[in-house]
Amino acid sequence: MTKSTHAPLAPMPPERLLELDNVGVHFPTRDGLVRAVNGVSYHVNRGEVLGIVGESGSGKSVTARSIMRLQPKTALDASGTIRFRRASGEEVLISAQDRQSRTMRQLRGGEIGMVFQEPMTALSPVHTIGTQIIRTVMLHRKVSKAEARAQAIALLTRVQMPRPNDIVDRFPHHLSGGMRQRAMIALALACDPALLIADEPTTALDVTTEAQILELLKSLQQELNMAIVFITHNFGVVADIADRVAVMYLGRVVETGTVDEIFYEPKHPYTQALLQSIPRLGKSHGRRLRTISGMVPDPYNVPTGCSFHPRCLHGVRGVCDVKTPEDVVFASGQRARCHFAGEVAISEAAQ
Amino acid sequence: MSTFQQKSMDAETLISVRGAKKYFPVTEGWFNRQVATIKAVDDISFDIRKGETFGLVGESGSGKSSIARLILRAYDLTEGEILFRRTSGDVVDITTLGDRDMREIRREMQMIFQDPYSSLNPRMTLLELVGEPLVIHGMGTPAEIKDRVSELLGLVGLRPEYVMRYPHAFSGGQRQRIGIARALALNPSFIAADEAVSALDVSVAAQNINLMQDLQEKLGLTYLFITHDLGMVEHISDRVGVMYLGRLMEVGPTDELFAKPKHPYTEALLAAVPQPDPRGNRTRKRVALKGEIADAMNIPTGCPFHPRCAYADDKCRAETPALRVVEGGRQVRCHHAESLDLVGVTAQ
Repeated sequence: MTKSTHAPLAPMPPERLLELDNVGVHFPTRDGLVRAVNGVSYHVNRGEVLGIVGESGSGKSVTARSIMRLQPKTALDASGTIRFRRASGEEVLISAQDRQSRTMRQLRGGEIGMVFQEPMTALSPVHTIGTQIIRTVMLHRKVSKAEARAQAIALLTRVQMPRPNDIVDRFPHHLSGGMRQRAMIALALACDPALLIADEPTTALDVTTEAQILELLKSLQQELNMAIVFITHNFGVVADIADRVAVMYLGRVVETGTVDEIFYEPKHPYTQALLQSIPRLGKSHGRRLRTISGMVPDPYNVPTGCSFHPRCLHGVRGVCDVKTPEDVVFASGQRARCHFAGEVAISEAAQ
Repeated sequence: MSTFQQKSMDAETLISVRGAKKYFPVTEGWFNRQVATIKAVDDISFDIRKGETFGLVGESGSGKSSIARLILRAYDLTEGEILFRRTSGDVVDITTLGDRDMREIRREMQMIFQDPYSSLNPRMTLLELVGEPLVIHGMGTPAEIKDRVSELLGLVGLRPEYVMRYPHAFSGGQRQRIGIARALALNPSFIAADEAVSALDVSVAAQNINLMQDLQEKLGLTYLFITHDLGMVEHISDRVGVMYLGRLMEVGPTDELFAKPKHPYTEALLAAVPQPDPRGNRTRKRVALKGEIADAMNIPTGCPFHPRCAYADDKCRAETPALRVVEGGRQVRCHHAESLDLVGVTAQ
């Protein structure tokens, strides 16, 4: 637990909703200390969609879970601060909260909504969709059961659930994958959250259903002026929904920028390489895919210096393998954690 | 193999699926009374040519995996025939073969599975895993098998020293390579890859896709590549079939089918794919397909796609279209294929 031994923090800018500063989450294991999240900083403004992309093991989900204080019990909060601005305008230091604290219970499902990848495991299989929404509403608001039920039906209508009056009394196993994800979103929106954390919400869905859910999230986001932290490994999905993007690798944010900057002017070699390794519709037939050599190192043996250097095309011996890079900040606000950010040829990354 | 009956097939064709149907009964109650039928594969015909990659795309429940299983005869067909050209040149209808003959054919056709974690026995070493097909088919002495396994591991880019290791020591991408080595052990001419890279991260998926393409070139393999990832299918396939509710809606050469789809479902699928191109996404017309794939037990009458189709009319609701050949040799299962002007994806 991070104690209040910090110097007092400078207040967040007024538009800031969530701010992570140098967050570290470590797991002590038999084989050594796993630094799953190793100094992550990002922020989300009101009404903004922040996309977080990275390969498996990059720490995107662990970071999101520590925002909700739902990280596994073995996790150690090693460093950093997480701050959230409540509806009242007051700042909460989430990183100093206990997972069971009153504030956290008010925030979770209240001002911070959550949508997970697998709605079948996130929803209770033994309660109807209606019961689950009604309980959430009644936990956070002083309303009668009848009013809560009416709200549940209104929420299901809002997420464009077909036959909401019928579905409200159904169990999750009665619903298709896309409908379950809609129910999950209705549950997350139950108390008009200012922030929605969506962890791979469309990964398990077919493309046509995925397109429907993305459209739904986009329209809800605008209608409710809600901020979203959207976690995914799919660059197409991020390009579609995000305003700004943070790219993660091995527990660190390696690059952040607006969605256009990340896709058309990536500054970090990892972002550039990833963008070149995805097949694109209408462009890629017959062309060989660029690959990133090697694989994501195992978390017990994170390379020294820049953790990407063994796989990097531009790594310079004596620099990249020795010195841990700091963020290089560009005039536009784009940041890249690379010694040579901006000097590296962008080649056809933008294409 | 004189027991094999000779069938005729175009010399360039390796596999010909003709009028294939696979129905599963739905039973209920104590006496397993049959209450309905699921038509997992319904009247499907297509050819896979020698040395090509045939891609099969569709949403979950469209029957793409069932097709791979029918070709490898993990399932028996309800109706129809599947012709296969053996390395010897003989053409056989695999649906009529007995177990003994089928076993021999399986040397020539292999499968790569989606989940590299559950498809490898955790208690077997790489030597046992990759050598197992050789042992089963009685090919070689233990020393020869060991040499062959080392060679196979080298072929898929794993170090031959790893033969005594267990699968847990490898990452997802490496495990998928072990699966590929195992599939190659018997020198097959045909490999069905069912969502072979779907579980992998992008950078690793790209490595394995390149490996599969190299192997195809080196060994003259023919692939059936099944996936829901349209970008991947476009990248790897020479020809593509689009499936919906157990039926093939469209078949054609990849470039043509993606640039100019002839079936409204293909158009909708292509439009639904989010592209890694934020500016393009803002201007692109995204026809969001309405509703969801129908229940396989209650397939709509007429064209199975009509309830979700933006172009459907009375004819589509009443008559089931057949897969027919239209201009340029493309095959489409749509009444209005000629009159529709559909939008595909084109290189910018």
